[in-house]
Amino acid sequence: MTLLSLAWRNVLRQRRRTALLSLVVVYVTVAVLFMLGFLDGYGESLVEAYARYVEAPVVVAKEAWWEDPDPTNGFTELPSLGVPYTPRLSLYVLLRSPYRTEGGVALGVDPEGERRLSRVSVKVAEGRWLEGKGEVVLGYRLAERLDVRVGERLVLETGKAALGLRVVGLLRTGVSNVDFAGVYLHLEDAERLAGTGVRATHLAVEAGRGREEATAQALNATLPPGLKAKGVWELMGPIRADYEGSRLFYLPLLGLFMLLAATAVVSTTYVSVRERLREFAVAESLGLTPGRLALQVALEAALASGVGLVLGLLLGYALLYYTATHDVFGPLMRMSVEFFPESGLSEHLYTAVRPVYALYASLVVVLSGLLALLFPGRLVLRLELARYLKGE
Amino acid sequence: MTVKRTLAFLILALMALVLAQSPLDKLKAALDRLRGPAHQGVYVLTVERPGSTKTYRIKVYTDGNRAHLRVLEPRSEAGQAFLSLGQDLYLYDPRLDRTLRLPPTGRTERFLGSDLTYQDLMGRDLEELFQVAEAQGVLVLTPKPGAATPYGRVEVYLKGDLIERILYYDQRGQAVRELWLEGYQRLDGAYLPRVMELRDLLKEGYRTRVEIQEVRVGPIPERCFNPLALERGC
Repeated sequence: MTLLSLAWRNVLRQRRRTALLSLVVVYVTVAVLFMLGFLDGYGESLVEAYARYVEAPVVVAKEAWWEDPDPTNGFTELPSLGVPYTPRLSLYVLLRSPYRTEGGVALGVDPEGERRLSRVSVKVAEGRWLEGKGEVVLGYRLAERLDVRVGERLVLETGKAALGLRVVGLLRTGVSNVDFAGVYLHLEDAERLAGTGVRATHLAVEAGRGREEATAQALNATLPPGLKAKGVWELMGPIRADYEGSRLFYLPLLGLFMLLAATAVVSTTYVSVRERLREFAVAESLGLTPGRLALQVALEAALASGVGLVLGLLLGYALLYYTATHDVFGPLMRMSVEFFPESGLSEHLYTAVRPVYALYASLVVVLSGLLALLFPGRLVLRLELARYLKGE
Repeated sequence: MTVKRTLAFLILALMALVLAQSPLDKLKAALDRLRGPAHQGVYVLTVERPGSTKTYRIKVYTDGNRAHLRVLEPRSEAGQAFLSLGQDLYLYDPRLDRTLRLPPTGRTERFLGSDLTYQDLMGRDLEELFQVAEAQGVLVLTPKPGAATPYGRVEVYLKGDLIERILYYDQRGQAVRELWLEGYQRLDGAYLPRVMELRDLLKEGYRTRVEIQEVRVGPIPERCFNPLALERGC
């Protein structure tokens, strides 16, 4: 009979104890899977929001503009980058309706270029996307605050000029920055408002999902001096720190969870071994080496936690699949968006589902086995055979 | 004889046509009169809000185009000073002991938290941004295409050659602001209202009243229109 089957039989001998141990491991496995899926889903939703709505996959601008995003630090002539891009002109404006005046950042865009790169243009809930000069498209929450409707005139003022633009569309993107503060106008109108001869402040470049940083690095190697490309991660504001902080906080916490679960398994195994020392002495007298006995103990711990792991994986992946396909976190995210409208948070968050989470979660089994080898295993290794065989 | 009479009538009619002011001319003339002569005076600004009223006494120096304003009361805000030089607007705050140049967008900001904007006090938006027509003695202003105004229509009511009331409408045909000018006094060949009152028609109880007192007509020293004068006084 192999050690494995021997260990398995021992695990089954104490069904209630094994069930309790498995429950602990199930709980930890589900927690690990869920937290990893949630954190990755959160990260993906931020990348999606910033790459396709708030910013772009990659942005190229003058180093001076990165230092001080003033239109005067923009491009008076559009450079050749060797890759397709769409120019944008970002500037601070005062938005004036008959009822309210509010400051904000307006983005001058090439309407057709944006259609190719951004998803904003397809998220027009009322009216239409920009077609030409003299038009403006607003986030629907901003329009509510200003109390302007499609077809009405909105005044945009800078220190250099003022324009009365017709509101042609209201956006409902589900991304807080755009819905609460999005102001899109034709690039030429933005040039007039900037009034400095600047044609663009930055250039938005396409990059495949997950290729943003590599594309930015490749561009940086070929860009003329004074220009710098940044990938979407670098374009995120304080929300990136929040995301990275969450990872820094939760990953060690999950590690601690797994360690605690493994400790629970091992402490139970320890008690079990102490109760069965005579049995181990008999087995040793029948020819089983102390090392193999210790290995059997480790296998028992690993099997007990393995049962929990399998159940936990089933439950955890089921939960992840559900939260990846249903807008479970919608209400929570919408509340967060209300509290932090300028964060770039998305109103929807779907968890990520990746096979590698199973590998991370299975660490609890490895830990249980190793700890069992260290502690209850040592009991078996130091077994005084004669004493236990005599029944003392 | 009949031919001569007809000719005389036609000539008179032609002269009347030539001499008649267009609605735009009427508006320009009325706005010029609104500016008053070069003078200094004390403007009492009363800002009414539901349940509260705040009164400022402001010393004003103006040559009709430029203005230097200095808050005298309340004591907590005394010393604040404003200088309007065309598109340039300066603000001095004694608590910061610093003069700040406001961007032209600052002209549309509310003055001392009242319902008035700098544009109401000194601006010429009405003649620059609107097309002017006249209907039943009222100048009806509609925005020029692409004009930088949020209003859909403005009605200017004249009493003689002087502006008595300006009514601002939003783009849905609803009146949103109303400015009343009363008690014009003729000073050195120009006119100055004694009272200006602005009401926010969308918010009940929001009203700003300006009473112009202690007016002394005469040239204002050039130094008053230097930003340095904001700190040391005019």
